[in-house]
Amino acid sequence: MLKHLTEWTLVLGIFGIAAALGNWLGYDVLPWVAIPGLIILIMISVAGLILEKLIPGNIPAVGYIGVIGILVSLPFVPGSDFIVEWTSKVSILALATPILAYAGISIGSNWADFRKLGIRSIIVAIMVLFGTFIGSALIAEVILRWQGII
Amino acid sequence: MEKADLKAIVKDWRLHAVVLIIVCVTEAIGQFAFKVGPGVILLLPMVYAFIIGLALFFTPLVSDKMAKNAEPLIVLGVTLLIAKIGVSIGPQIEALIEAGPALLLQELGNLGTIFFALPLAVLLGFKRESIGMTHSIGREPNVGLIVNKFGFGSAEARGVMAVYIFGTVFGAVFLGLIAGLLATTTPLHPLSFAMASGVGSGSMMAAASGSLIVAYPEMEDQIVAFAGASNLLSLGTGLFFSIFIGLPLTEKLYSLMMNRKVRKLKGGNPNA
Repeated sequence: MLKHLTEWTLVLGIFGIAAALGNWLGYDVLPWVAIPGLIILIMISVAGLILEKLIPGNIPAVGYIGVIGILVSLPFVPGSDFIVEWTSKVSILALATPILAYAGISIGSNWADFRKLGIRSIIVAIMVLFGTFIGSALIAEVILRWQGII
Repeated sequence: MEKADLKAIVKDWRLHAVVLIIVCVTEAIGQFAFKVGPGVILLLPMVYAFIIGLALFFTPLVSDKMAKNAEPLIVLGVTLLIAKIGVSIGPQIEALIEAGPALLLQELGNLGTIFFALPLAVLLGFKRESIGMTHSIGREPNVGLIVNKFGFGSAEARGVMAVYIFGTVFGAVFLGLIAGLLATTTPLHPLSFAMASGVGSGSMMAAASGSLIVAYPEMEDQIVAFAGASNLLSLGTGLFFSIFIGLPLTEKLYSLMMNRKVRKLKGGNPNA
């Protein structure tokens, strides 16, 4: 467990450094302003990863992490003001950039599979993504309007 | 993440150095928006980061080993994204509860996939592959479901794998581009698109909602919270949705279309 803990923290720390630099260069937030928020996010992630290991059942870590994140930032939870304030300095876009950089590098090894797909498969796959996106947006629009929220 | 080689991956400093340089370069370049007709396509640093990463794979700078090492890291990186989404949802909880019905029902929007894409797949000449392709957005749980139900060597499994591979390679980039374009060309509200961004894949959600944030910066907090809540909901309910609604509906529609096609070939009703 301890071994996992150090490994997770190290890997997340690497992401944290990349995000802090990206947050600085891309969104003009100085690294030391973003670091408390990044540390909070890393702690939430690690807590979720630990729970996944400790709690029997098949709930993935992201489930726990999402719930912990929501709980510690609820307005009536003590200390949530600080958590919200600090983490708001970390742009979600700055977190996504290193993830997609690693994804691009790793997907190179799937490139052979991709080339086998053929143009017909690609057209259908594009319509699948497009259909889900526009379908969900249309239903959301109808219901949000009906509720008077937008 | 169980594997013991995470330690070796942490020590793969060349990989991390390459990523760090990619991040610095792409964030320094910053965002670009260019007009396409009435809409705007947004190019975000994450899009260049992905493309540069992919391109570098084909250079000596990135080895096969590094590409393999990068894979488990993505899973950990996504946890940070989910943590950030979690802390964005908390403060918006009242707005989200108010929008609860819309959040739940827009999951039905995934059926849009079936109505848009299934006829197209059949038209393009796919047979039972089209069921695997179009019953859902084809992420990991859906691949599991299809392989489990039809077997790994089945036509349905080939179909779902095709969508899975495309989604893995280009899903985030594609959704990032169309989210910006659709949000600026259609009269739909940005929050509707924010909800639609939660398709059950962290990187797709980040790319789609990222484009929306850049197009509507004043709504950033709400966009992140709505997209994030919708994504968590999709992660939790998506599989059951596919099992009980998506897949049966796709099979039903498929057999309807096939019957019609057969009748047409027999010359039953040329106008059908």
